[in-house]
Amino acid sequence: MHSSTVAARRYQRRPAQAQRVLRLAGCAIGLLPLLVAAIIVVAPVWWTVVSSLRPPAESFSLPPQWLPLHPDWNNYLDVFRKIPYGTYVLNSAVVSICVVAGQIATATLAGYAFARFSFPGKTLLFWLIMATLMIPLQATIIPVFVLISKLHLNNTLGSLILPALPTAFGTFLLRQYFMGLPNEFEEAAVIDGANQLQVFARIYLPLAVPGMAILGILTFNGTWNDFYRPLIFLTDQQTYTVPIGIVSLFGYLSTGSVSTVLAGVVLSVAIVLAIYLLGQRYLVEGLTLGGLKS
Amino acid sequence: MGEITTQTYSRREVLKNAGLGLAATVSAGTLAASSAPLGVSARGVPALSRRQKATLRVVGQLDANTKKLTAMFEHLHPEITLDYINVQAPDWDSLFTKLLTMVAAGQAPDVITVATEGVQQFAAHNLVVPLDDYVKRDKAELAEFFADVHPTLVEAMMYKGSLYELPTDFNAVDMYYNPTLFAQAGFGRPSDTWTKDDFYKIAKAITKKKGSLTTTFGYGWVVRLWGSWTPWIHVNGGDLLEFGRAPGGSWLWDTFYKNDPQAKGRGGGLHWGPPTANLPSNVEALQFMLDLINEGISPVPTVNGGNALQGFFASKQLGMTPAGGFWAGGLHAAGLKANQFDVQFWPKWKTQRTHFGTAGKMIMRSSQNKDAAWEYCKFYASKPAMTIELDGNGTTPTRRSMMTAARYAPTGPSHWQVFYATLDRAGTRAMPAPTYYNAMSNVLDKYTTLACGGTATAKQALDGMQQELESLYISSIK
Amino acid sequence: MNQQHALPARRPTRGGALAWLTEETTAGMARRKTLLAYLFLLPTVLGILVFTAGPVLVSLGLSLFSWDVISPPTFIGLNNYQQFLSDPEGLKSFVNTFIYVALDVALQIAVGLSLALAMQQKMPRWLRYAFRSAFFLPLVTSGAAVSIVMSFLFNKDLGAINYYLGLLHIPPVPWLSSASWAMVTVVLTSVWQQMGFTFLVFTGGLGTISPEVLDAADVDGARGWRRLWYVTVPMLSPTILFVAVTGVIGALQVFTEPYVLTNGGPGDATHTVVMTIYQAAFQNLQIGYGSAVAALLFAVIMAVTAVQFGLSKTWVFYQ
Repeated sequence: MHSSTVAARRYQRRPAQAQRVLRLAGCAIGLLPLLVAAIIVVAPVWWTVVSSLRPPAESFSLPPQWLPLHPDWNNYLDVFRKIPYGTYVLNSAVVSICVVAGQIATATLAGYAFARFSFPGKTLLFWLIMATLMIPLQATIIPVFVLISKLHLNNTLGSLILPALPTAFGTFLLRQYFMGLPNEFEEAAVIDGANQLQVFARIYLPLAVPGMAILGILTFNGTWNDFYRPLIFLTDQQTYTVPIGIVSLFGYLSTGSVSTVLAGVVLSVAIVLAIYLLGQRYLVEGLTLGGLKS
Repeated sequence: MGEITTQTYSRREVLKNAGLGLAATVSAGTLAASSAPLGVSARGVPALSRRQKATLRVVGQLDANTKKLTAMFEHLHPEITLDYINVQAPDWDSLFTKLLTMVAAGQAPDVITVATEGVQQFAAHNLVVPLDDYVKRDKAELAEFFADVHPTLVEAMMYKGSLYELPTDFNAVDMYYNPTLFAQAGFGRPSDTWTKDDFYKIAKAITKKKGSLTTTFGYGWVVRLWGSWTPWIHVNGGDLLEFGRAPGGSWLWDTFYKNDPQAKGRGGGLHWGPPTANLPSNVEALQFMLDLINEGISPVPTVNGGNALQGFFASKQLGMTPAGGFWAGGLHAAGLKANQFDVQFWPKWKTQRTHFGTAGKMIMRSSQNKDAAWEYCKFYASKPAMTIELDGNGTTPTRRSMMTAARYAPTGPSHWQVFYATLDRAGTRAMPAPTYYNAMSNVLDKYTTLACGGTATAKQALDGMQQELESLYISSIK
Repeated sequence: MNQQHALPARRPTRGGALAWLTEETTAGMARRKTLLAYLFLLPTVLGILVFTAGPVLVSLGLSLFSWDVISPPTFIGLNNYQQFLSDPEGLKSFVNTFIYVALDVALQIAVGLSLALAMQQKMPRWLRYAFRSAFFLPLVTSGAAVSIVMSFLFNKDLGAINYYLGLLHIPPVPWLSSASWAMVTVVLTSVWQQMGFTFLVFTGGLGTISPEVLDAADVDGARGWRRLWYVTVPMLSPTILFVAVTGVIGALQVFTEPYVLTNGGPGDATHTVVMTIYQAAFQNLQIGYGSAVAALLFAVIMAVTAVQFGLSKTWVFYQ
């Protein structure tokens, strides 16, 4: 062993306790703001969970009760008794997975094209695509529904999937993502004899996985929780998605139990959270870029 | 089987009426054979041919009840298939949005559910057809329906002399209160003719503070058109719009309500005239609300807080609040027992008149199956159908005979009779719902919140409201 | 063949288009890249042309008509535009929307970025997942619950937030009943719900910064805040631009939060442009008018976005 290492070790051994405490304290101080933020952010969701386990009479009192005294799981059973929640979950899942897969595909391709190629009409096409983000759904929903009806897609899950496959948002996201990656990789690969497709598929595509994961998570969540489009496009109960189902738990003139509604919401949140946990494994803070040294 | 008029019926027509009337009161099976004979009535409105197959697109909530109803109806009318279009809309707005998009795409349903809010708007825009000819043709069969339904509910469904809906459920504004909080403050159940001053006394006594926090409020409400501060407008003798009656309608009143004193003076539907938002009595009513807020007896109301309001009442933080029959089921679902809430008429001020909203099924003008649609409307208004559909006390049935102790025993309140009796009170009528109802409702929200937030005085708010309502009114009569 | 030409022929020679594409020159490579670009763009552009272009053009066209959905549309030229521009309420809705955009986007970026940066510190994996889930939860909670929760939390007299403020001897805040506070409440609700989005995007953006660059900065003497400002933020600027642009575009179209929380009130304090569109189209049977307002909004959004992109050349750094 090197003598300086031995010396260093001897030096570190003595105030080891103090150092460990200091380090922990430093960590705690660093984590504290995160903890406070997390508590504030989660509190309303926690209230939702807790309120789903007891009658509304106990949820709206002051001081707010953050723990249910007698959790009543009946509300969760009620959700399945009152509506075909399982069918709705299946429908939502089919739609969300298809849209996510489709959007990741189209957005990655299009984003890469905008980021790394130059071609005639590039600016025009980019603005054309971005323009679709700039008209609110409320203005276009009637013509869109007429179009969907003419294509005989209304009241099918296809009406929710097909129009959602192209994504201006996703294209923009992946474009920025690709633009943030260095050019050296392409140059190195071309020198090594790779063609453009190989550059894309072998080099940049793997690097884009975090971006694709982000898009996937956001799109899954957005599609899963979309209420407006299913409301307008679907009329047959067998095709309904989860948000519509949750709203139907309100009952005529909102006389259903709010707790049951919240139970439906919590179930939905749990599912999307599971997908999120799956997807965010691809997100790493401080990503090491494939070991390619510049 | 109802009145015999001078009109001549074909023998088949009589059979048809008899068959349907009986089939409606006996559950599935026995008289299906006579439900759709051939023939044309003397009036020229063709009866439904048995050979004609029709698919009816009907808007409604699909649940266990509707499945029963569908089976029942399709048994009675084997030539008609029901195709349910579910509109799981949480409120009138979403329902309306969906209907509009369907109409725009040429996919309008045949039968839609419309509440008071939309009756005049739909009728004026020619979206729906009047039912006069059908009702006249089938009056023998419908006599028992009208005998069971209060005339004011029927009048609310008329426009310019024609009937557009058979009303099947309604909700009148009454005062819900917490008997325990009343007792703790030393009060029993208020009398049927209790006054605004009685109300104020009780509300004040119930209000309790702990330090700077008010733990119990005497009275709470939310901002909307039905049942917010609007009942106070009415008991103070005023309204938001000038009330009138359209001419006509005697074809209905003379046929079905000849001996009913409550039907006297009714015409061809409600006619809403120029706005009267800033009447002194209205300003007084709004000021009363603001006084309650300033004195800490009422919390500041919000828009769209209906669920929270129910939660606050159920958690015993509100002594009194305006609500309708639908809260019987609602409070039960919120966790209250039948003896933990009760209902009474609105306190008397200059009068004791309040308002209601009612709903039923309308036939769309674009429908290719109007006759089948009418059969469905009649069926939906029949007692067996209504009994199935309106269980759970999530709303109030328009049929007097359905208002029974047995119905309200599981949910409460003990004084459920108040719901229907409110209709008899001093000219209680439909809430103001002209052809521009949606815009009017937004205007009311806007100025009420301005006043309650302290940005405007009652007079300023109502002057502003009057101005905006006036321009809406002028555009509507162009 | 003319052998005096030194440059390759500009027209495809024997072998036709395929040769033109596959020739091993810089020009050939550029052609291949162009073709690949169009191919990559094909699904997106095709999808947009089929499903979006038509309805958008129809909507813009309807702005010149008066249509109540039931009867056929009638042509009225620019009347709808004139009507909106001469309505003081119209201007107010734009002003409200701009205020909302400024508050919302600024707060979203600040909160999302701070959280993402704070998450860079070392912590056990389970804790990292826990925090990430916590910040993402509001985004996942569907609208039905949000309206119920917020009407309980923000109620002035019976709400939870004022209850806790009261314990700290802070007087109750009129979150939903005061014209000035209502916009704040709407922004807070929106930031609460959307922060998971900006947090996630910034986390991903931070992940593209190679640790070598950060280490190099450390070695050069830039630590802590200096490194943050001079290294991390510039490296993150494409992501910031993305969040800013999409944030502004989305915020200019805000509808759900003010509609659900206050229906545009108190008064018209939170009445936004899309609320005008919604009310016109779906409550008052004035589709043409709604389309005209949407067209005006579209122009505004396009202009604002163009300005953002223009300015971005001065502060966004691409590698």
